[in-house]
Order: sequence, then C-alpha cells, then structure tokens
Amino acid sequence: MDSAKILVADDDREIAGAIEKLLVREGYEVVKAYNGMEALDALVSNQVQLIILDIMMPKLDGLSTMMKIRDSKNIPIILLSAKSEDSDKILGLSMGADDYVTKPFNPQELVARVRSQLRRYLQLGDKDSASSQSKLIIGGLCLDAEKAELTVDGEPVKLTAKEFKILEFLMRNAGCVFSAEQIYERVWQETAYSVENTVMVHIRRIREKIEINPKEPKYLKVVWGIGYKIEKIF
Amino acid sequence: MAIKLRKFSRSKVTKFIAFTLTVLLITLVMVQMNYIYNSNINPEAIFVKDYSKSDSYIYGELSRAINQVHFHILNDTDSIKPEPEYLYHITDGTITKRNEYLDKILEHKDYLYKYSGSTWEYGENAYKNIQNHVMDKYTLHLVFPEEYLQQKQKEWDIERDKLIPIALTLIIAVIVGIICVIYLIVVTGRRPEDDEVHLTPYMDRIYSDIQLGIMLFTLYMWLYGIASLFRHYSIDSSRGVLSMNQYYILTMTGILAILGSIICGVILLSLVRKIKAKRLLKHSLIYAVFAGISRFIRSFFDDSRFEHFPLTKSLNRRQAIFTAASAGMVFLLLLFWAATQNFFAGLIPIFAEIVIIYWYFYENKKTFEEINQGFRESVQEQMKSERMKVDLVTNVSHDLKTPLTSIISYVDLLSKEELTESARDYVNILADKSGRLKNIVSDLFDLAKSTSGNLPLDMENLDLRKLIEQTLGDMEDDIEKSDIRIKTSLTETPVFIYSDGKKLYRVFQNIIGNALKYSLSGTRVFIDMEMIDNKNVYVIVKNTASYDMDFTAEDVLQRFTRGDESRASEGSGLGLSIAESFTWACGGRFRVEIDGDQFKVRLEFPVIE
Repeated sequence: MDSAKILVADDDREIAGAIEKLLVREGYEVVKAYNGMEALDALVSNQVQLIILDIMMPKLDGLSTMMKIRDSKNIPIILLSAKSEDSDKILGLSMGADDYVTKPFNPQELVARVRSQLRRYLQLGDKDSASSQSKLIIGGLCLDAEKAELTVDGEPVKLTAKEFKILEFLMRNAGCVFSAEQIYERVWQETAYSVENTVMVHIRRIREKIEINPKEPKYLKVVWGIGYKIEKIF
Repeated sequence: MAIKLRKFSRSKVTKFIAFTLTVLLITLVMVQMNYIYNSNINPEAIFVKDYSKSDSYIYGELSRAINQVHFHILNDTDSIKPEPEYLYHITDGTITKRNEYLDKILEHKDYLYKYSGSTWEYGENAYKNIQNHVMDKYTLHLVFPEEYLQQKQKEWDIERDKLIPIALTLIIAVIVGIICVIYLIVVTGRRPEDDEVHLTPYMDRIYSDIQLGIMLFTLYMWLYGIASLFRHYSIDSSRGVLSMNQYYILTMTGILAILGSIICGVILLSLVRKIKAKRLLKHSLIYAVFAGISRFIRSFFDDSRFEHFPLTKSLNRRQAIFTAASAGMVFLLLLFWAATQNFFAGLIPIFAEIVIIYWYFYENKKTFEEINQGFRESVQEQMKSERMKVDLVTNVSHDLKTPLTSIISYVDLLSKEELTESARDYVNILADKSGRLKNIVSDLFDLAKSTSGNLPLDMENLDLRKLIEQTLGDMEDDIEKSDIRIKTSLTETPVFIYSDGKKLYRVFQNIIGNALKYSLSGTRVFIDMEMIDNKNVYVIVKNTASYDMDFTAEDVLQRFTRGDESRASEGSGLGLSIAESFTWACGGRFRVEIDGDQFKVRLEFPVIE
C-alpha cells in the first residue's frame, strides 16, 4: 500500500501538478502525462497501480485512452472531467472506469477516492473472493451477514442493527427499488404507517458511513418519489 | 352659422317643450279642421263678406237653380223636387214651366235674372256674370227673393263670426308649429356643452331605412285614418251644434293626431340627427347588408395577413381566383345550356374549367415545393443554432471549471503548508470563497442549460408525496440545526405525476432550504399539498420572512438576470431561479407570492389519472 504508483493524466499542467503534490503528500508516487499518448507511453515504462485520467485531452482523449488501457490492464481508473451530466458519468463508468470525479473537485474527496480504489484493488488482489458464501459483495462494499460485519474497501464500518438490516436487504436485492413501506415491513417486521421519514433518515445515516461523498452517493441511492436501492456494481 | 345657432337654447327642457308644443299644435289644427268640416260651416264665409257675391251662392245656388230649371223644361218633367227656394218662369212659346206667375216674379225686379234672345239681363242687385248655358229658344225669368237672401246673409254672418277666430288660431298654430319644427330640426342632436352632433342611444340605433319606412307607413295610416273620420258622420248635423258621434270623431282625430305626430316627429328628428352626423346612408339596413356582402366577398381576396409571406400570399390569391373562376364556370355552364338548349355549348366552360384546374394545381405544386425548401432550411438553421448554444454552454463551462479546479487544489495544498496565523486566515477565506464560486458556477450552468431548454430529463411516474417526505428526511439535519419547524399537510394517498425525480428533489431542496435560511427564527414553515380537482396537484410552501421583503415576486426570480445584489451570504443566490426553471422543465408551474411578511411558493403539477 505504501508508495503505490499513480499515473495522473491531465492536459492542464497546473491541475496535474496539484494532484501530484496532493498524492505525494499522502505518500504515493506519481507519474504525470499531459495527453492520452503520453499516458500510454508512461504505462509502458512504469508499474502503475492506479490511473487518474482527464477526459478532455488533446491527441487522444481520456475515454479512448481508457479503452486502450483496458485492453491489457485491469488497474483502477478514476475519470476526471468538467462534464458533470449524469449521462457523461454513466458513459464513463460503463466504458470501464472505476470512479468518476467532476471538476472542480474537492481535493480531500479525490484523495479519499484514490485511497478507496487502491485499497480495494490491492486487497481484492490478495483475497480469495469466493471464500465465503455468506458474504455479499458490491463494489467496495463487503457485508458478512453471519458475522454481522461490513467493510468498505476493506475498512470495517460500524452500523446499528437496523442500518445493517436495511443494507443487507438492499444488497441482497441489488439493483431493485424498494419503497419505504417495503423496507420498513422487512426490517422492523411491523405494519408500515407513515414511515417515509424514519426510513429516509436511516438511509441517510448509512450513506454517511459508507459513501465517500454522501451528497453524490455511489452505492446507496434514493430514487426520488419512488424508493431506495443499492446500485448493482461488480 | 354655428355661433348663431348656439344662441338657441339646447337644453333638454326646451327641446321637450318645443316638441310637446308641436304635437299639441298639430293636434289642434287637425281637430279644428275636422270641427269645421263636421260643423258644416262653409269656410268661404271667411273670405267673402256678402253672401250674394259668394261662390256658395253663385255656383251652389244660382247656377244650380238655372240648370235645374233648364233641365226641367228640356226633359219636360212635372216639377222640381224638392220645393225650390227660388221663383222661376221659363217658356219657349209653347211649353211653359213655372212655380210662380210672371208678374209676381217681376215684382222682384231688382234681383231678377232674365234670359231671352241668348243674352242675360240682370236686376240691379243681381249677380251680373252668369256663365250658364241655356238654349236660345227659351226665355227664362228667375229670382231669389230678397227675404230669402237676407235670411241667408244672416246665417252667413253668424258663420263668419264663428269662423274668423278659428281661422286666426289655425294660422297662428300653423306658423308657430312650423317655427317649432324648424327649431327642433336645428337643435336636435346638439347639446349645450359642445358643438358636436350627438346621436340618441336607442332611437338612432334603428336603421335609417327602417325608420323611414315606419314613418311613411305611420303617416299613411294616420292620414288615411283621419280622412276616413272626415268622410263619415259629416252630414246630418245641424249647424253649430255637434252630435255625440261628432264629439267622438273629434276625440278620435285628436288621439290619432297626437300619436301620429309623436311617432313621425321622433323619427323625423332622428333622421335629421343622422343627416347632421352624416350617417344617414351609412346607418341604413340596405347599406349594412351591402357592406356585409362586400366585406364577405373581399375577405376571400384579402391577403394582408400574408403580407410578409409572398409564397402563402400567392397561394391564397390563387385559391381565391380558382374558387371564383370555378363558380363562374358553373354559372356559365348553366347559362349556356339554358340559353342555347345545346349540349355542346356546355363544353366550352367545362374545357375552361379543366384549364383552370390544371393551372391551379401546377402553380400550387411549385409554391409548395418552395415552401418546403424554405421550411427545411429554417429547420436546419434552427438545429445549427441549437447545437451552437449547447456547445457554448459546454465550452464556457469547461473553460471556467478548469482554472477553478487549479485554484481549489492549490488553496488546499497551501492550507497544508507551514503558515503564519494571518496567512492561515487568508487561506481559509480563499478556501471558503473558492468553494462558493464552485457552487455558483455549478448552479449557473444548471440554470443556463435548463433555461435554454437543454436540460436532459429522466421522466418517470413518481409519487410526489413520497418525494416531499424523502426530501424532508434528507434535509432532517439542516432542519434540526435551525430553530425553524416544518409543518406538513400532505394528501392522504399517493399522488402520481410524470416528472424527473432528481430534478424535483433539487426543486424542493432549494425551496425548503431557502425557507430555512430566510425564515424568522421560531416560526414555522408550512408545506401544504392538495388536489383542487383531479387533474392538478398543488404544493404550497409558506414561510415568514425574517427581513423586510422590499421586492416583488418577479424580482426574486429575476435576481440574477437583473443583476441585483444577492442577499445570500452563502450559496449562489440562484436557488429559487433553478427551482423555477427546473419545475417548468419538469412539466409543472411555479409561482412566487409575497404577502406582507409571508413568502409563498406555489407549485402545480398535472396528475396522472
């Protein structure tokens, strides 16, 4: 984990420099590239554990670069872009990115995401994921129903009993949307009456514990006016 | 002239008096004339003082007497019936007819009329210019005895005494009546305060020709009615004394005269006003009908609406010509057949019609092609400009975000350096403000995209009630941190609308956040949700402002475009503008109301059945 090597590719030299300094301070080694071609060259000559890739770059843009990288490598890629539309994020993620950070970003959040990606990548590397059937794994979330344990990117997270039950229920049915009533009846085992607020508050607390940026959740999402779901991520 | 006319009183009272007077005078004239007629008074008595010189005597009595006597001898009738007032003796030598002996007749020699040898001889006091024709062979002696004439003269004088005052009043009445009518004609339509011609509201709204018709009909009926009253019951009356029937007739004459003159007078004055206002012809039914028909026909050829569109203008013109020409051909066809009774004559308009149809379709096709071409070009133009707008927002967004990213990153790096206390303060301010700038830029582009209609929407059926509850749950921390309480009154059942949940969450987050930020501490924020009908759902968020709201509802939403100083110390100040823009984009309606210290946001969404 110490001194993992990170490739930062951004055509804006100041941003690349700022990210470099941020990461160096956190103890990572950084290689910079100012366009897609340079990034590909850098990958050949360096053993890199993570790539931060700007989308809008000259010569070869970030998405094309990422597709080329994905042909040979499985290392985590965080996309960095000024494009903040949902459609851009979905496109980036579906083309093989592990995370998507919009400019202007909060430096601490970027560092947290880098750390989370690296931890997952390195830990998943050692661990045998098929070791336990009682484990539910979605992205960096790993929920052990028997031991009543949850780890996010390998870091243990403490949840209350109700929070754990909600998360377990949603993770078991990842990708499905459930209304507050359905969640309440499953978790509390009582008839639901006017429970929207109760459930919503629990959801928010869970989010604060498992998400890097609870305002832009990656896993636990609110489907406004309908219900809640855990995103299905592999 | 106008100045002189002003001297006449134009007040309503004067006009009314003049009108009433005219009606009364006309009635008086009619009644008096009828009275004279019914009383059997001979109007001649006014003009001729001496009965023996009057036409009534000369033609009524003398001339008739001569003719009667002449007729008597010519036809050899036995006697003259009834017993005549005169004495006569007529002979041709063999036959003699008489009612008195000749010597007795000759006693009245001063009043004698003698015809012999084809000439007339007259007594001293007799009328000396008889024109009656009597056969030459006859010798006639005829006399109206002096006693009879004196008796007649006495009656004549009584009538004269009776008639002269009546005649004088009649003359005066006619003169005054004419003056009144002239006065009314001059002043009608004028008012004391100005020199304009004013039309009277109800009366003058009736078409002129209808008025004229009514007036002429009334006049005809009136004269006919009065004439029929003159005709009947006028005989059998002893002079000077009227029978019951005659009183009845006079009353009827009066009533008829009043009614007739009122109707005719009112209409006449109305017509006069219209003449003055130069509206007599324009305000007639005939004119209106013709104007309507002409407007109707002209409307077919009217292409002013297509003034700036030459292609549609030519289409419209061609259509009018085609329709008119086709109608003309049908008419011609019928005319040809009717006139010539020849089937082949009808082929000429049919052939012409075929040429017209060919021309119409051929030319229209060309025009339609041109219109299509123009339409295609304008659509392409529009798409191009739309694309440019999107590109502009994206590029400007990128160009702003890139330097901002550097600023935020380096401020963060700076804050981790060894710094003096004041330098740390400065860095904190930089961090705070760059964070705020980030929010403003982000909001600004959301707003720009939304107002330019380029907001990508993810529409689905969702429960608005649930969405509000979720938003409130999501904001629970903020709500609990403030000393503002939220009081909700939501519908009992879910209300489904078709919208974009994420955007609506932003809308409610902004509205409620706004309410929390600007409410007077200790007050409550009310969120009411209701269905007025089954088609729309309303959400009303009310809060009591903590400061003086010296702006209008429009100002709040146009704060940004108007460049007003934002009162927000945090955030972008664009929250409500974004909420408004997103609401409209999501298919809802958004309205802000300010009532004293109460700030009210009212949302409306169509409900799915």
